[in-house]
Formats: sequence, structure tokens, C-alpha cells
Amino acid sequence: MALIKIIHKWLSLLVGLQLLIWLGSGFFFNLMDGEKAHGGQYRIWQQQKSVIEPSQLFDPKLILTQLSKQNIEVISLKQIQLLAKPYYLLTHEKSLYAHFKNNYSLVDAYSGEIVIIDEAMASMLANNSYSGAGEILSAVKLSPPYDDIAREKNNVWQINYSDDNYTSVYVDAGSGRLIAHSNDDKRFADFFFMLHFMDYGNEASFNNIQIIIFAIFTLFFALTGLIWTIELGFNGQYKLSFFFKGKSTLQDIILLDKNQQRINDVNLTRNINLLDALLVHDIALSSSCGGGGTCGQCKIKMSNNNGSQFKVTSADYAQLNDAELEQGYRLACQHTSEGVEQITLLDVTQGKKHQLMLQQSKFISPFIKELRFSLVDESPLSYKAGAFMRFIIPAGKGCSIPLKLPDDLQPHWHHIEHLEYEHLACTRSYSLAETSLNTEELIFTIKIQSAPHNVTLPGVGSSYLCNLEQGELVDAIGPFEEFYAVNNSDKTMVLLGAGSGMAPLKSLIAEQMAVKNSAENSTGKSDETVPRAIHFFYGARTQNDLLYAEYFDDLAEQHDLFNYYPVLSQANEDWTGEKGYIQQTLFQQFDGLGDVGNLEFYLCGPQALMAETITLLKAKGVTDSAIKFDSFGGNNVLLKKQ
Amino acid sequence: MSLLKTSRKFHKWLMLFLGIQFVIWTVSGAYMVIFDIDYIHGDSLVVNHQSKIDVDNINFTLGDLLEVYPNAENLEMGVFIDQGVYRFTIKSGDGDDSTDKKTQYLVATSNGQQLSPLNEDLAKRAAQHYYSGEGNIVDVELITENPPFELSRRRLPAWRVNFNDFGSPSIYVSAQSGKLVTKRHEFWRFFDLMFSLHVMDYEDEDPSNLLLFWFVLFSLIASLFGFVLTYFRIFKAKNSVEQETAPTVKDMN
Repeated sequence: MALIKIIHKWLSLLVGLQLLIWLGSGFFFNLMDGEKAHGGQYRIWQQQKSVIEPSQLFDPKLILTQLSKQNIEVISLKQIQLLAKPYYLLTHEKSLYAHFKNNYSLVDAYSGEIVIIDEAMASMLANNSYSGAGEILSAVKLSPPYDDIAREKNNVWQINYSDDNYTSVYVDAGSGRLIAHSNDDKRFADFFFMLHFMDYGNEASFNNIQIIIFAIFTLFFALTGLIWTIELGFNGQYKLSFFFKGKSTLQDIILLDKNQQRINDVNLTRNINLLDALLVHDIALSSSCGGGGTCGQCKIKMSNNNGSQFKVTSADYAQLNDAELEQGYRLACQHTSEGVEQITLLDVTQGKKHQLMLQQSKFISPFIKELRFSLVDESPLSYKAGAFMRFIIPAGKGCSIPLKLPDDLQPHWHHIEHLEYEHLACTRSYSLAETSLNTEELIFTIKIQSAPHNVTLPGVGSSYLCNLEQGELVDAIGPFEEFYAVNNSDKTMVLLGAGSGMAPLKSLIAEQMAVKNSAENSTGKSDETVPRAIHFFYGARTQNDLLYAEYFDDLAEQHDLFNYYPVLSQANEDWTGEKGYIQQTLFQQFDGLGDVGNLEFYLCGPQALMAETITLLKAKGVTDSAIKFDSFGGNNVLLKKQ
Repeated sequence: MSLLKTSRKFHKWLMLFLGIQFVIWTVSGAYMVIFDIDYIHGDSLVVNHQSKIDVDNINFTLGDLLEVYPNAENLEMGVFIDQGVYRFTIKSGDGDDSTDKKTQYLVATSNGQQLSPLNEDLAKRAAQHYYSGEGNIVDVELITENPPFELSRRRLPAWRVNFNDFGSPSIYVSAQSGKLVTKRHEFWRFFDLMFSLHVMDYEDEDPSNLLLFWFVLFSLIASLFGFVLTYFRIFKAKNSVEQETAPTVKDMN
């Protein structure tokens, strides 16, 4: 089923435009005036006929004998009328249809003389079929192919009229047959036929290779869509709310946080999926696909008291592993509240919305800003270090380069192309860089993401937040506590991060220091009595990118048990510290950190760095439960790899 | 996000009702474009005979003909199977074109023998002559009224000669002129059905019908919503790759 959806998605890109062209031109055919489309505005269909006296007809046998002497053979001889006079139409080469290639001669049926259709005769033939007010502008003898009458394969006379519709009349140059009228109405309709038939070579055919290829792709497009629709139907995604009127459509549900603590009781409607139903109660689950079951972010755990299993949709199956499905994990967008009694929200502990006011915004490296917010009309929040908040970014205009860029940072931004863009509303999550033990302010370190290439937009959220002015307001949900120090542990903490992955780690360190200080103050004991050691490995490219270097240097100086290892990958000659990649430094130092069983690892940085670090740590014998990580990517790519 | 959600909702609901027609459009469309139209028209079912009129075998002249059939009109000469023939029409009625009945005649040039109306044997011979395939005749029928869909009323009376070959071909021979009137096989019959389904007109295959109007209109809307989904799923998805620190913490177990 996942494959069906992937095929449908990519086919939509491939054939989508052509499908619109087909529908649009089809709509035109539905609405168009069939008479007009045939170019018959000035066409006279009934030709005047005169009564022919058979006895006056020239004996066809004589004509045939004459021709046979010249070795001209005849397949058929037919008496016809042109301009109310009888002619014999002799066929020398015959096709199945008149518009295929035929070879004729024309003989006066009274005199037996061979007649050639010249300009004058062609013009008269045309005039006899023409009721418009136009005059003949020109009469031209043409050979195929023709734009106006693409399927015609014989030589023709084209007689052009000076009317308002640019009528052209086509007469078969061999037989005098009136082939067609064409005018701008017909040419307009023909343009849509060309589009509908993809007949860009004007072959008057819909059997061309491009339409065959597109037809096959579109066939699969429609079939995958149909299968998808049927699947949605089986999953109960088509529920009509008005069918349920009179019946109670609400379901009482107990919401639990990930520690099975009761958060709230809610009444959720059964008619819409849980993702939307929870949103009604201001509970915004993460979702980047908007409920299509393709991003896997709206994971929840569902349960009921009778212990029965919930059905598994193909999207659940694609996004969740067997163990998760067994335990009742599902995607909220795939299910309604029907039959559900309890929902465990995994990434929401207290999904409360706050209004924040920007107090200070300053660059702490060329691309990273520290933002300090205060709460509006609220008492201070208390949260575990490592928590993050989800900002609600309104739709608006953005710019690839910060609006107020200090002069000394200008050179760093020179290579970034100036780009203004519009973006939709979205949410973005950022980790808090301090602990609530130290400050009431909510502090974030945010990297202004530039676009990796010109196809994608720069980071919408980071640009928006970093361009906020002091005193401006923004909404954020949270804090969400998912990455935090293990409770009541005295094991050595090893923290490893890079770039803006600094934030949650700094917050963890600050928390440990604050706890330690308060313990010291209350007991009066010295530094050495708190035995917990902290090793902080931080990677950056250049000295400019080292965040809070002074702060950590000071900490390391003051506290023996805090060790700071800044590592630069592109250091200049002034740098006396470690060079290279942060994970290498960690492994050089690994044996000095102590017993493997006495270490806790906290990682935050780019996914590649974390994946590599995790692999290396495992090789050193570190257990899964001793590794906590906070990923930039937002989805559980790392877990999927396990 | 709301545009994405709205689009998903409308695309989902509209396609619930339109989806089957989309499948019909694409199946019938694919059939019509994949099969070559000349093949569909049965051009390969018949031989395009180029038999020439044998001048030496015209013993019965126009003069002779007019003596026997003084009201002959629309004279034509040609070859029927293997012999030279005259074809002509004779009007019966009161001279009013709209009510007059025209009867076609087929007369041999060699001796003036009247071959029309064709008897069954002659019709079979003619059909076999026109037919290009290998099959044998399985059934012959003279149709004088209520023609099937595939035969025009103007062509009556006509013999239908069915062959037991691939696609169940039928050859229609005019009972009066002996000419090949039309030919049909299952692929053409199926094409006609497909066309009816494609334009949603099951009676006279006219694309200008209200049913089609509403379906196309809503299909256009549904497709535009689909386009929004494509945009979000393909182009926006790339953007979210560089989503800034959106932490999802997983214990490694």
C-alpha cells in the first residue's frame, strides 16, 4: 500500500499537468458548439442538381476503350454532378476512404472530354458551397500535409475568403469533391483537439507515442488513486457527520502523557480523525503531511479497557514497527476516536500555548542568534533542562538574509543570495538553552538556516524568529520534555554536540551546575563532594562558530569535574586546541572517561554526526539505554535504522 | 497547513464520487490511443481490390441498359468480385426527393444479367472476396429493417456475413449494389463502447451532455486540489528536510 501511495505521488507530478490539459480541453469539447467546431458557419450542404437525360450521356464504354488504348486502366467509373453538370469520375487507384490517397480523372459526361479542375472551376465549386459575404482572396493548389485538414492525403485546392471568420474551402483537386470548410472557429477547436490528443506533430491522430505513454501512466495514476480511495473507505475515513445526527458522536477519552500521568479528559468527535479532533482541543500533534499518513509524526498510543486490538492501516504499517503496533501505537490521522478510551500522547507532556515577548536578540556566531523571551501575563514556567518549545510561525514574507545584520558579520553572508519569499504558516521546534532554575527568561539559540540550493526556501522558522524585533510577540507551545538528564543518577555525563545542537546540552550543563550550587549552599560542602563528572565535547567549524566559549572556559576553570573539549574542523593557525571532527576527539579521550558502565551519553547535532557517534559508542560497548539523543531531523530516522 | 488540509479533504471526498469515472476515462482513453484507429476501423479486415474494368467484356452498352431500365440514374461502372458491372438507381414514388425510394441495381456488363438483389450465395461470395482473413463464414443474415447500431439505416437492405476469426469480424454487403458497406470486429465494437464511456453519453456519443459537464467541472476542481497536494508532498517535503532543531527524543531501546 505504501508503494501505491508513492507511485500515486510521483505520477501526479509526471502526468498532473497533462491531466489538467485533458480535463480542460474535455471541458471545452463539452461546451463548444459542434457546428462551429466543424467550420461549417457558411457551408451550404444541399447542392443544386439538374435532371440528367441518360440518353444524352456519352457512352462510358467509348471512354474506357479510348483510355485502354493509352494503357490507362480504370477501377470504377461513376457519374457525378459538379456545378449541376454531369461528369464521369474515373478511379485509377482506389483507397478504402476518399481522404486516403486516390488517383482520379474527370470526364465531361456529355462530351467525353477530359476535364482538369483549374482555379476557375475550383473557385466555382467553392462558391457553390459558400453562403458567406466574403470575396475570394486567393485560390491555391496544395499538396499534403495540411494544417486545416490534417487527415487529407490528396492534392487540394484551397480557396480563401475575405470574411470575418477567415473561411477556407478545400476541394479535392482530382475529383472536385468538396472536402471541408475551415475557419477560425474550427482552428480554435482544432487547437484543443491537438492538446487533447497530444497531436503536436499535426498527424490528425491520437495514436502517437507520447499520448500512449502518458495514457499508460495516467491509467496507473487513476488505478492507484482508486485503490487508495478504497483503502480510505475501509479505514473509516469517509464518515458523514450528518448520518450520525441524533446519535451521540462524542467519545470520552482520557489523555495520558508518556509517563502514563493523566493530563486531561476530553470529548472527541468520532467523525473526524484524531489528529484533527485533538486540534479542536488545542492539542497540536506534530504532522508535516497534514494527515496523509505519510510523515509518521502524529504517533500516539491508543488503548481501551477490554484490551481489543485496533485495526492497522497501511499507513500505520509503513510508519510503525511490529512491536509498536502490538502495543497499540497508531498514527492519529488514520483513526477516529471510535472505541478508544485512552490516548497516550507521546510528544506532548503539557501542550499549553504561551505568548512570548522578545526581550533580546543578538548574534553569538555569524549564523546563530541567541533569543531571549519573556512570558506575557503568566507566571514563570518550570521545565527540565533539555526541553523544547514549538513556535507557531504565521504565514508571511521572509528574506534569506537577516534584516539587521551587524557590519562585522556582513562578509560571512556575502555568498548567500538575497531572496525574498512568501511562506505558509508552520510550526518549528527549538530547544531551550537555559534551565528554569537559573532564569525566568526563555532562551533559545537558533541557527538561521540558509537554503542548501536555490530550489528550496531558507529556514522559514529561523528566519522569522531571528528577524523579530524586541517587544514583538510570538506564540509557542510547550515546553516539551523529551530530552533530559536521567533522574537521580550519579554517573558521569558525556555530552557531545555541534553547531546549534549546543542549546539543549548547555541547558543540561547549566542545570547540573545549578543543582550542584544549591546543594553546596545548603550543605556547605565543597566542590569535590558532588562526585558527578561532566565531559562536554563541542564541535564547530571555526573560532567564530564556537558558542559560549568564554562561559564554558570559565566553568572548566572553576570546576574540576567539568571538562570542556572544543574541537574545530576548519581552525586557522591561531587555534591551539583540538582540530578535526568531534566524534574522533571523543574516541581519543574515551578510555580516560572512566568505566563504560558508569557513563551516560547525551547527543545533539546533525543526524549524520549522531548516527556515526551512536555506531561508534555501541562498538565501545555502550548500551542503548545509556545513550540519549536529540535529533535535528524531527523524525525517527535513527530509530528506524536499528 | 490549512491549505494542505483543505486540499486533502476535498481531494479525498471529491474523488470518492469521481474516482470511478477517472478510471473509466483512463481505461477508455488508453484503449483508444493504444489501438491504431485504422485497425479499429477494420481496415485490415478487408482487401483493397484494385480490379480493373475489362473493356473487352462490355457487351451490354449504355444504350442497351437504358432500353431495359429507361429511368436509370446515377450510373456507375466497376468490378463486382470478378466481373464488370453497371450500378444505377431507379426512383419510385411521386418525384418528391424526401419521400421517394431509390433502389440500386447491379447488372453485368457482359450480358446485361441483373445480379441484384443479391441472393445468399452471391452475398457470401462477395463477402469472402472482400474479407482478408482466414476465417470461415459462420452465419449469414439479410437485414432489411432495424439495423444494429453498427450499420446505418441508409445502407439497408444489407447482408451481414459473420466469420469465425479473431475478433468475430462481420462483413456487411449491400444487397442491392453488392458493395462493401462496412466491416466490424469486436475491437471496433469495444471502441464504440469505450467512446460512449469516455464522453459519458450512452445513447448518441455526444460530448455535449450535462452529465459530462458536471463531472468534468468537479474533476477539474478535484485535480487542482490534487495539485496542491503534489506541491506540498514533493516540493514542500524537501524544505522540511532542513527543519530546524525539532527534537524528538528516543531512548535507545
